[in-house]
Amino acid sequence: MEENQESLLKRLGRSAKEFLYGMAGHDMTRFALKTRGSMEHLFILITMGDLLGIPILPPYYSLRLLPYVVPQISTWKRRMLRERDLTDALA
Amino acid sequence: MFTILVLILAAAGVAIGYGLYARTIDKNIVQPDPKKATPAKMYMDGVDFTPASKNVLFGYQFKSIAALGPITGPIIAVQWGWLPAIVWVILGTFFIGWVQDYGAMIMGVRRDGDTMGALSYKLISPRARNILMLFLYFYLLLIMGAFGNAVGKVLMTNPQVPFGMLTVVLMGVLAGQMTYRWKQDIILTTIITVVISFVGIWVSTQPFMSNIFSAIFGLPDSPVWFLGNTQAQVIGTLLVVIFCYLGSVLPIWSYAQPINYVSFWIVSLGVLGGILGMLIWRPGIGDFPAFTSFTTASGPLWPMLFVTIACGAISGWHSLVSTSGTARQLEKETDALPVGGGAMFLEMVFAVVAFLTATVAWGSFQGYQDAGGAGKALAVFAGGLANFLSRLGIPTSFGTAYGSVFLTIMALTIMQLCVRFMRVASAELLGDSVPVMKNVHVGTTVALLLTLLFVWVIPWLTIWAAFGAANQLMAGLALMLISLWLMSEGRKNAWALYPSIFMIVTTIAALLYLAYTSFLVKLPAATTAQASIANILIGLIALTLVVAAGFLIADGWRALRRPRVKEAAEKA
Repeated sequence: MEENQESLLKRLGRSAKEFLYGMAGHDMTRFALKTRGSMEHLFILITMGDLLGIPILPPYYSLRLLPYVVPQISTWKRRMLRERDLTDALA
Repeated sequence: MFTILVLILAAAGVAIGYGLYARTIDKNIVQPDPKKATPAKMYMDGVDFTPASKNVLFGYQFKSIAALGPITGPIIAVQWGWLPAIVWVILGTFFIGWVQDYGAMIMGVRRDGDTMGALSYKLISPRARNILMLFLYFYLLLIMGAFGNAVGKVLMTNPQVPFGMLTVVLMGVLAGQMTYRWKQDIILTTIITVVISFVGIWVSTQPFMSNIFSAIFGLPDSPVWFLGNTQAQVIGTLLVVIFCYLGSVLPIWSYAQPINYVSFWIVSLGVLGGILGMLIWRPGIGDFPAFTSFTTASGPLWPMLFVTIACGAISGWHSLVSTSGTARQLEKETDALPVGGGAMFLEMVFAVVAFLTATVAWGSFQGYQDAGGAGKALAVFAGGLANFLSRLGIPTSFGTAYGSVFLTIMALTIMQLCVRFMRVASAELLGDSVPVMKNVHVGTTVALLLTLLFVWVIPWLTIWAAFGAANQLMAGLALMLISLWLMSEGRKNAWALYPSIFMIVTTIAALLYLAYTSFLVKLPAATTAQASIANILIGLIALTLVVAAGFLIADGWRALRRPRVKEAAEKA
């Protein structure tokens, strides 16, 4: 019984904490993610030549960047290929 | 006693509305499946489509939908008496408000996280999306005009307010630097910036500081400077415009976002303090009438009451947040009801608290009128909040300045977002034909000049009614989209279709009423150029919105009939 009460209290505390975070900080996190997304676009752009087999940057720099870029390709494709309109800018 | 009765009524509205009506529709009609992959999981891109916990999203959704609307609407609406206002807030949320927020969210989830624009394109017609964009631009312009008017011409002209507001803005900028540049702990940043903000608000109430702003504003008898606006009003609105300009052109992380963060704490503490003071005091309604008359300064009860109280009962803005923002982050389909519906019911409670600050906090209709009445709704709220806070031992002068600062900051939060959006919209829509519109500063300046025209020329109650009508029409159209989507899935849609018809008919009636009074009643009687321009502007906007809505309704009607026509053709 006590354990149940404790877990209920813990659950309530966690919910309240998450609610507060949602109101105060979730927007900031989303913006940070958007900034990171924009930076990823730039990285993909500068390494795109190497991904396609056409070296644009000196290979040394490309080789150093590629390991960071490759894991992001699938999410980058989703972002790039998604149709957007002005209402996207509202949220 | 009246306060407690109203709160019990609101609690009953939540219990029956959310616990029974909303849950029944969710369970029996929409039938969300917790195992079904949501767009947040299917299309996870680490940016827009990212799953988040329902508690986080509940807070996010509530913060995104609760701005000045739920505060201002009920305060203006009590001019018809307290009964119509409270009935519409509770029943509006019960039958319509949550339906739209929840419906738009679950529709977004089931339609791959599409935005309102994409949904209009697919469910109604290709031109529906373009009309919606035009509609949105006017809608945002009206938000700017309404909020700019309330803040720049009323709150900022109180000499005890501007310094507090400046302090909060500066603390926001400091919070941005501390968080992103100096990598300081967020709790330390929050404590420092919020405490200094409160000190700034206190300093702003001190005679030496308010005397400085009285001198700047030319108070107590501020002279008329421009288009019938006093020196204080012109300077107040220009200050608002400068804040919005900076919010539009500066990087979000350094200005708009940290200011929003600091202001969140200021606003939350104020609301909590107000509710606590109200519960300790528990005032009665006094001689405040339940019903005054059918026609007031804002017009006849139907349709004008239903557009005057927007966000507290139903608001088109919520459908934009629900689709573009929250639907793309839902972890499970079953989270849509607690997040979308739950946040709307919580906003109803917020609107009820605002209603109480306009009624019981003043104790009489005369008290409400003396505080500014419908014409100075935000001043009524700031004063009412100060009356509640005084029960906690907080001086009324500080409470009034505090209430005014937090309302100003709430308005600026939305206004900065609107200017940014208007800048992007003008660059997208006009950028190819007029390349200069792609320039950040030009786009922002154009948006703010239009705002100033609205703020300086159009009277407060008129612009609020126009804003409310645009907002509610947007809600009606969102409900129409939800009905079409339900029909396309072969589900019962009466719970969304009838509210949609009610909202569309009511808001078109309100817009036609505004056009009629502007062109045929007020314009012939106008004695100044300012009044003539104001009436022509409002009349034209009202008619434009009616025509745009007419196209959307015609296309929507065709879309509604599409399955029947198809069925008939198949039978033949």
